[in-house]
Amino acid sequence: MITFGLPKGRNLGPARASLGAAGLNLDGLDSSRLRQRFPNQNLLGTPVEVLLLKDWDLPLYVEHGIVDCAIVGSDVLEETQPDVFRPLQLKDGRSRLSLIAETPELPKRSGQLRAATRYPAWAARLLAERNLHVEVIHLTSSIELGPLLDLTDVAVDIVQTGTTLRTHDLHEVEVLARVAPTFVVNRASFHAHRRRLSGLLGALEETETGGD
Amino acid sequence: MKISAGLPTGVSAALFDSAKRRRQLEARLSALLEERGFAEVLLPILDYFEPYRPLLTGRRLEQLYRFVDRDGQLLVLRGDFTPMLARLLAPHLDELELPLRLYYRGDVVRHQPLRPGRMREYSQLGAELLGGDEAEADERMLTLFFDLLLEARGEAPVPGDGEEHALRVVLGVAGALDEALLAAAGDREASDLALRIASRDRIAARRAGLAEVVERGYPTDLSVLGGSAEAVSDLLGLRDRLAAAYRGRGIEVEVDLAEFAAAALDPRIGVGEGPRGYYDGLMFAAYAPGTALALGVGGRYDKVFRSLSGDCSAVGFSLGLDLLLELGAAETET
Repeated sequence: MITFGLPKGRNLGPARASLGAAGLNLDGLDSSRLRQRFPNQNLLGTPVEVLLLKDWDLPLYVEHGIVDCAIVGSDVLEETQPDVFRPLQLKDGRSRLSLIAETPELPKRSGQLRAATRYPAWAARLLAERNLHVEVIHLTSSIELGPLLDLTDVAVDIVQTGTTLRTHDLHEVEVLARVAPTFVVNRASFHAHRRRLSGLLGALEETETGGD
Repeated sequence: MKISAGLPTGVSAALFDSAKRRRQLEARLSALLEERGFAEVLLPILDYFEPYRPLLTGRRLEQLYRFVDRDGQLLVLRGDFTPMLARLLAPHLDELELPLRLYYRGDVVRHQPLRPGRMREYSQLGAELLGGDEAEADERMLTLFFDLLLEARGEAPVPGDGEEHALRVVLGVAGALDEALLAAAGDREASDLALRIASRDRIAARRAGLAEVVERGYPTDLSVLGGSAEAVSDLLGLRDRLAAAYRGRGIEVEVDLAEFAAAALDPRIGVGEGPRGYYDGLMFAAYAPGTALALGVGGRYDKVFRSLSGDCSAVGFSLGLDLLLELGAAETET
């Protein structure tokens, strides 16, 4: 049996669609149940168990080997830096991590800038690479409120369509990184299920036209 | 029973049954090593820092616990057995009768990020074979590695699908992909490509013409590996002999060059600073299903002796005793 971890919430749809397009039949998946079994999987030649977990918890379950593989946002992987294999990025659900401000340019400050983000470690790395030494404030939601309410000068957050930015008169100053749902595999599971996963990954690769 | 409350991050105490089980495992593995002619060495927990500068790569040096003692000497707590053993033996190679078979057991400490299953202090048991014919020594040590893994797992039956529950040993050669990486990505991008292949990135590997390396572990046409083709061809032969010898015993062996892609030897590929940084030939690692870390790693490290002005072939491995104990417990539960 191979155990998959899939994200609860809005990311479940694209993840399920990608796996379905590759031939992994998860018909009957009930998003309200945390643990479900799918006995007949011709593509893999073994039953599949699906665990529905929070995005931020998925890397830990994979690293521990509780689930063999999962689909996780690359943003979560960059922040948590788990020791897992990352064979493929998926096309559906891609977005970008951007530097956001109330002005089109980076605000000028005599002192250190402050940035609100839900990715304190990743944002600090990306900003340091650009020689921007910023005090990073960790927020868990409504990141755009940081600059709007003067808690911070800028925000570093995911932008998908840009609607939220336009609604709040915010500007995307710079795209810092691309974000994509990523198929990840536990190291030991990769070796244990290599032949089986290879078929699925090959099919996924064919259906996903986007690269890295 | 393990108790960690009141102790620094990353360490724990083994009490009662845990202590007893660990000592029993050590005794069984040590008996096997003694039976194969390996002699135990007891190494100190403290050493000077300076000798390790040329022996260890950046990340491993950073992980050493170091401090200045009351005499003003910069000391380190033992973070690895192999380099310590090498630096102690290198000046005396002329006086030693080779081949030399040694083993050790004890704790090492490394200041490293806590990850699932990874503590900062952990118990290792390892063996080293110095001198002798290299190919013969490699095979002999791999056979010992397999036998110790099987001994640690015990005689518990392999449940259900045998292949799925088998222990996996992956084989590679340090620097085997260097020429292919440089040819595909050039000096500037080869490091990034090495890391992507080590992470099994299929798109990056396909673009570099190395898709087979991530899909099946090695290319059908070994000539793409340039000067490493012969070493990998020999490795495939070694895999076949080991697979035949251990067939049906719940242990599978495969060649997987991607596993060791970051163990580059060419200085233009600046990613050779991983935990296996001192290996320069055969490399191997063992995994059990559902685990977070390799049960053990090993390989050939002749360059460690060369950097100590010694000329001696050397191959060895270490096994994580805490991980092996979990393996035994899991097998017993099933």
